[in-house]
Amino acid sequence: MSALALTTHFVRREIRNRYLGSFSGGLWALIQPLIQLAVYGFVWIYVFRMRIPGEGAPGIVPFLALGVWPWNAFSESLVRATTAVQDNAALIGKIALPREILVLSSVASSFLLHGVGFCAILAVFWLRGTPLHLLGVPLAAALFLQLFVLALGFALLFAAIQVFVRDLGQTLAQLMPLWMFAGPVLYPRDYLPERFRGWLDWNPFTFYPEALRDALLGYGSAGTPWIVATVIALAVLALGYGVFRRLSPHFEDFL
Amino acid sequence: MSADVLVSARGLGKSYPQVFRPRDRLRALWRLLRGVPDANATVVLRDVDLQVRRGESLGLIGENGAGKSTLLKLLTGVLTPTTGAVSVHGRVGALLELGAGFHPEYSGRDNIAMSAALYGLTAQEMRERFDEIVAFADIGHYIDEPVKHYSSGMVVRLGFAVVAALRPDLLITDEVLAVGDESFQRKCVRWMEEYLDAGGTLILVSHSMYHVQKLCRHACWLRHGAVAAYGDVFDVTQSYLAYHEAKFAAPAERAEARNVQGLEFHLLDLRLNGVGQDTPLLVEFASTLRVEIVVHSRDGRVPVIVVGVARVDGTPVYGVSTEMDGVQPAGENATTFRIEVEFPQLTLLPGSYIVKAHPLDSEGVRLFDTIERPLTIRGSSRELGLVRLTHTWHNVASPRLRGVSGG
Repeated sequence: MSALALTTHFVRREIRNRYLGSFSGGLWALIQPLIQLAVYGFVWIYVFRMRIPGEGAPGIVPFLALGVWPWNAFSESLVRATTAVQDNAALIGKIALPREILVLSSVASSFLLHGVGFCAILAVFWLRGTPLHLLGVPLAAALFLQLFVLALGFALLFAAIQVFVRDLGQTLAQLMPLWMFAGPVLYPRDYLPERFRGWLDWNPFTFYPEALRDALLGYGSAGTPWIVATVIALAVLALGYGVFRRLSPHFEDFL
Repeated sequence: MSADVLVSARGLGKSYPQVFRPRDRLRALWRLLRGVPDANATVVLRDVDLQVRRGESLGLIGENGAGKSTLLKLLTGVLTPTTGAVSVHGRVGALLELGAGFHPEYSGRDNIAMSAALYGLTAQEMRERFDEIVAFADIGHYIDEPVKHYSSGMVVRLGFAVVAALRPDLLITDEVLAVGDESFQRKCVRWMEEYLDAGGTLILVSHSMYHVQKLCRHACWLRHGAVAAYGDVFDVTQSYLAYHEAKFAAPAERAEARNVQGLEFHLLDLRLNGVGQDTPLLVEFASTLRVEIVVHSRDGRVPVIVVGVARVDGTPVYGVSTEMDGVQPAGENATTFRIEVEFPQLTLLPGSYIVKAHPLDSEGVRLFDTIERPLTIRGSSRELGLVRLTHTWHNVASPRLRGVSGG
């Protein structure tokens, strides 16, 4: 109970920390992916002259939006949470608290902000008449939740290792774009040559944009069955949590 | 009753890994993942056994770097012990560093809420006690300003106010309280006294033996990461002080030994209460000390004898000679003289001392020899200084409002 209260406190503080002193405040969480969407949309439509292939294919903008928002939530939470323990070294050295909370609240605040942004953009699409499957909305929520579990698993793993190997955080920030392009965030799987398409399934993130597009736009289908993706997310969480628990008694010695 | 044991530590030890190069960190990571213990680690604390019962406060004393802070961090759960285990029951309030857990960008109010949550106060308790905290901190409009604008005194006020509102079963603190201004210190001390009177328990790290003796019933002396003494606060603080005094005096002592045989006068024996060895004599405060001196006189002339008491570090306390008091030692035979001096109701305060004796020539001019014997006065007096001066209090209120705590 008190752990929950503490997490709430940390999430609130984290969100306030990000926007403390900025004019746009929490709105930035919505604006930043919108700018991103506009840039990608412009490049895809006017520069590369790309179209989503297939009968009844969705417009490029909704297609991109369903990749950009989950990816932002996922990548931002990983990059931020990786240094969550290290950034709170002063606190850890002075007050006994369950360190998992620091990682949890970092991931949770990223998902919270981008979750709200995602809902807002869906509402905009719906108002503009994009054919959205409203029945898919609960599915999308479940998918986001599962993505949160996956992100939390990776975040715990990375945050624990970061205490020992400080290069991880910087390396990870550099590798994030590569991770993004190794998944169908900005392009549909069909764009890849036949022999490369299967490779995407090695990326644990691939499932989420595909499943979201399937659920909300009725476009395409996930390359991996949902149950397999769930097992992978839980396995990553178990691994991350295991490593974190094993290393956390020694954090103080290495911070 | 074992239910009333608030803190118990068994075989507590802490070692830090030796990390110098980035490569060591990687190796440490791999080792920890496999669960292999570290072979070469720096031991900062070993084999500490402690037990603190409700209402029995403990003082932690020791030199800098003796492991006191590490021990406190182990007790509060900030550090994980390398060996042994700690169990702590009840709510612990820790007042260790200034504004631990305060965020400089946030206002006092925000920080109160956060740090109360960190200490495990529920939202309900928080709402109930918020005004109490603000009133206790008493920092006026600063409560709405960011903590980074606070003076260090204000930070302490805020931190203390939060901990006071926690109503901890166990309070762990060091000398941070010395930072506040006069009126706030008085408030803290009053709170602390009420807390202790109400059965609160304290673990205090302090370099002030006065505070330790005033507030604690037991003490633990840490030396180089191990317990050097543990038990009654007066025994432990006295041996700690004696250790320090002896350490301070040590370099001067060596020059003393010289051959005195064949001089005109030399000391044959010095006995304290009939005991002649070099081991410290233990005397209870306010009991009697008898000093016996035997002097050899080469030419059979009667010596003047000086007896003195000094603190272990050499500070003289009192000295007197036979010549001053107009007495002479009695001759045992032609060349041996013996005299005895008695100090009834010795008013030396508890601590370690040296009793010295010197023979002087018959004129009381030349000093020939020195013998020293260590003396330890035992007792539970909290008076300050070296000796008790006779005193009487006047204009005293007749019914005492508060009993002497612990009495």
